[in-house]
This record gives sequence, structure tokens and C-alpha cells, in this order.
Amino acid sequence: MALLLRTLARQGTCLSRPQFGVFYRHAVPMGTTAKEEMNKFWDKNNKLNRPMSPHITIYQWSVPMMMSITHRGTGVGLSGGISAFALLALVLPGSYPYYLDLIHSLSIGPALLGLAKFGIAFPLSYHTLNGIRHLFWDSGKGFTLPEVYRSGYVVIALSILTSIAAIAYM
Amino acid sequence: MAAIVRISSVCHRGGKLLFYRSSLLARPLVTQQKDQDRSYPLTARIHGSSSLRAAGSVSKAASLHWTGERVVSVLLLALGPAAYYFPGPAVDYSLAAALTLHGHWGIGQVLTDYVHGEPKIKMANAGLFLLSTVTFAGLCYFNYNDVGICKAVALLWSK
Repeated sequence: MALLLRTLARQGTCLSRPQFGVFYRHAVPMGTTAKEEMNKFWDKNNKLNRPMSPHITIYQWSVPMMMSITHRGTGVGLSGGISAFALLALVLPGSYPYYLDLIHSLSIGPALLGLAKFGIAFPLSYHTLNGIRHLFWDSGKGFTLPEVYRSGYVVIALSILTSIAAIAYM
Repeated sequence: MAAIVRISSVCHRGGKLLFYRSSLLARPLVTQQKDQDRSYPLTARIHGSSSLRAAGSVSKAASLHWTGERVVSVLLLALGPAAYYFPGPAVDYSLAAALTLHGHWGIGQVLTDYVHGEPKIKMANAGLFLLSTVTFAGLCYFNYNDVGICKAVALLWSK
């Protein structure tokens, strides 16, 4: 019924005159949700055993693309780290200072120590700074291509700088 | 705080922009309604939220979820300096909540992007819910029975 109405309205037939306005009150634009449409797509293509068209293997990588997937990667990594920490807190018998002293006693060299700290600091600072970049986009700002690249380079530079500062300062 | 207000005000504007955009794409007919003063394209009324509400089918859940995600992000951003300058149980538990929720919604988006097929989606989301619950429980346990998140980071970095 909705499909019929939409077709007729598009062609501008008599139904578009005001006295037929009563039909529009119950017209629904789309019969399915986005989720349903997506499921239909995947069900159909999986059932037909279609191979997926190559995309990330053939498309030329760009800085925005790489920054986007890095944002996702650091996010998943950080989240996994927090969950692992929480799980260990529930499962391990000793207290946090005890395990910290345990790691101290291993006498890891300063180079490796700095590297480990960088391994924690960089994902955190990158994800945070790129997150702020995302929030700017959410407010509608900075979508032109030069702006995207410029803000991207700023995020990368600041991430490295703040990570190094965090290691050097503390 | 200002960021939140600004984002929400821009969201409303953006929504209105889409409202007119979709009506223009549907070959509008401009007529004067005898009983109403509005003169915007008639087909716009099909997409108008009033007619959708009459059909009873538009849910604000997705839109509210989106806004919630941004609010938690900004909150988490504010908790960073708060943890540095005012460490203590208040920030510890707020961090536990904000970190868990931000991570839960974030991984949720990743699952939505890469997991397909209704049963797999349900299982993945159930697993995520379990993980997030355990994460929050673990963080709260750590805050209560151990040094707390702020102190833990301070101790770790003093190494």
C-alpha cells in the first residue's frame, strides 16, 4: 500500500491533491529497517556462496583510512587490556602492589621499560586525540579533505609527542 | 558541558536538513493546505515525523544511543584530568563506569560492522554483555579491595 502511494505521489497524480491528504497520514516511507535490509543482503549472498569482492586488498590505502582503522585497533586493544586487568583483579589472589613489586624484581632494563610504557601510552593518547577529532566531525566541523588530512597529521604528531612526554616526565 | 550542548543543538539542525533533503528527492508538489498554514512540499508530510508517529513506527532508540555514546565520550575525556588532579574513590568508580560503558558500546559497533546473520549477532552481543559485566565487576572489586584505578596508574608509572 505504501509502495503504491509512493509511486503515485512521485508521478504527481490526483492523489497528491489536498482532499486526498487523508491517505498520507497512514503512509510509511520504508517497510523494513536498516538491520533487516543488512541481514537480507548477507543471507542472500551467503546462500548463493558468492565470494566477497576485494576491497582492502586492492584499494589504495590513504592516511585517513589508516588512521580510522588504527583508531578502531587501539580502541579494541585498550578495551581488551582493561577487561584483562579486571579479570585478573577478580582471579589473582595477591594485591596490586604485590604484583607490581614482582615485576620490579624482574629488573627489566630501562630501554625495555620505556618501550613497554610507550606501548601503553601511545594507543591511549592516539585513541584519545583521534577521538576528539571524531567529536569535531560529530559537531559537523572539519569535513573538507584538506582539513581531514591536516587534523590527522596533528593527531599523529601530538600522539607521539605526548607519549614520549609521558615516558620522560614520570 | 558546552560541547554537549553544542553537539545536541547541531544535531537538531542536522535532522531538519535531512528532513527537507529527503522530501526534495521525492519530487515534491507544493500546494496550499486549506486547513493549515504550512506551504512546504506535500510529499514532505510522508516523511514528516508526525505522519510516522501516526503510523506508529519510528523509534528514537538509535538516535538516543548515538547521543549517549558522545556524552559518555566527553565524560571520559573530562575524567582524564580529573583522575590526575583529584584522585580518589569518586573518580575511581566514575572511571570504572565510563570506561566499561564506552568500551561496551565501542566493541558493539565493531560487532555490528563485522558480524552478520541473526544468530551470530545475538551470540556475539551476549558474549560482549557478559564481558562488559565481568569487566565492570572486576574494576569495582579492584576499587573496593585494592588501591583503586587512579592510584594503580600512578604506581605503575612511577616504576
